[in-house]
Amino acid sequence: MAGREKSRPEVGDGYLVDRARDGYLDAYEMLVQRHSAMAHRVALRLCGNHHDAQDIAQDALIAAWENLARFKGGSSFSTWLYQIVTRRALTKITRGRAADPADLLDPVADPGTGPAAQAARNLAGEAVTGALAALPLPQRAVVVLHHFEGLSYAEVAEVTRSSVPAVRSHLFRARRTLGKKLEEWR
Amino acid sequence: MTGPVNEPPADGQAAAHLLDAVTLPCGAEIDPLLEQAADGRAADRDTHQRDCVHCQAAIAEFTALWAPVAETAATAVPAPPGLTAAVMSQIRVLNRDVWYTLQTTEDGVIRIAARIVAALARDSARMVPGVRVALGRSTYSQIAALAERATFQQRHPHAAVGVLGRTAVVDLAVAVAYGDPVHEVARDIQQHVIATLRDHIGLKTVAVNVIVDDVLTDEDQ
Repeated sequence: MAGREKSRPEVGDGYLVDRARDGYLDAYEMLVQRHSAMAHRVALRLCGNHHDAQDIAQDALIAAWENLARFKGGSSFSTWLYQIVTRRALTKITRGRAADPADLLDPVADPGTGPAAQAARNLAGEAVTGALAALPLPQRAVVVLHHFEGLSYAEVAEVTRSSVPAVRSHLFRARRTLGKKLEEWR
Repeated sequence: MTGPVNEPPADGQAAAHLLDAVTLPCGAEIDPLLEQAADGRAADRDTHQRDCVHCQAAIAEFTALWAPVAETAATAVPAPPGLTAAVMSQIRVLNRDVWYTLQTTEDGVIRIAARIVAALARDSARMVPGVRVALGRSTYSQIAALAERATFQQRHPHAAVGVLGRTAVVDLAVAVAYGDPVHEVARDIQQHVIATLRDHIGLKTVAVNVIVDDVLTDEDQ
């Protein structure tokens, strides 16, 4: 067996979803490893604090496991997970406490930049975070999914169970509001 | 939209002022220009924009305005350490995958969780050249069936899985690399996994069911 090469590119999510449905916990663990950062990131940007974000991400990943049999595979696993995370985050926000904008992004030390540059970046990040937190929830959701996660309008519509024109409309309003907030900060 | 307007904006185009307007003096609507800048497509100018100073100034202004958003979006937000472990721990409880191997020694009893057996088998299979992914599964029903068969001759009223506490049945779903001889890879997996479980856990009897359910090329990512 020594003659065979050992390079192993990653298998697709669809394969892992199928195996997870067959009872291979390993497969679901690989999916969690791949997508937990996304789940946490989206929750954090929507709810604004790390503690709630971790709870939301954890609940969403467990809920996805529990509902895996219902996942039809019409969309990608990540789109489906975006849907679960977004819904749970919005539910938590409407029920729970207000977000603390300063907690959205933990400053991550970047050895490639000096303290002044890092401070400027943190200030900009806080301005963005504050502006984002001030948006109405539907607008915040579409901004996070499109501008922060890079989802297309069609994907955002699928995640939010909306339509492309509705997403576009929310984004138009959100950008103007965000723009005005950022202009105040400049 | 009117034709290109080549005179420069009279008093500059501060973003706040622009964001209160619906259109530019040239007739171009504000929202699509803001969308273009926010989506990072400032350089993708259409025919009108290539000759219109109003559009060019507005796009430049919006691009600068949106820069902190783009920068924040590009900032890595790592998952909290332990998130995956916390999720999987709860799922294992839900899944009730809690049977153990059982080995009685003169010093006491050694129990090793089935998921450890499955994980070792999986990692062992992944070491075999040609294997692109290996997923381990060990089920209570299978080992119970094996115990049933093996203890048929000396059935005890309280015979349980523990009777065959050093026996394991492991399912392995594997995807192999395209071009490798599948049956050879599968056989290598069986031998490698059996040896690993015997050496690392002390299991006496190991059945390894290899299910090759995908053949992947380099493009399958």
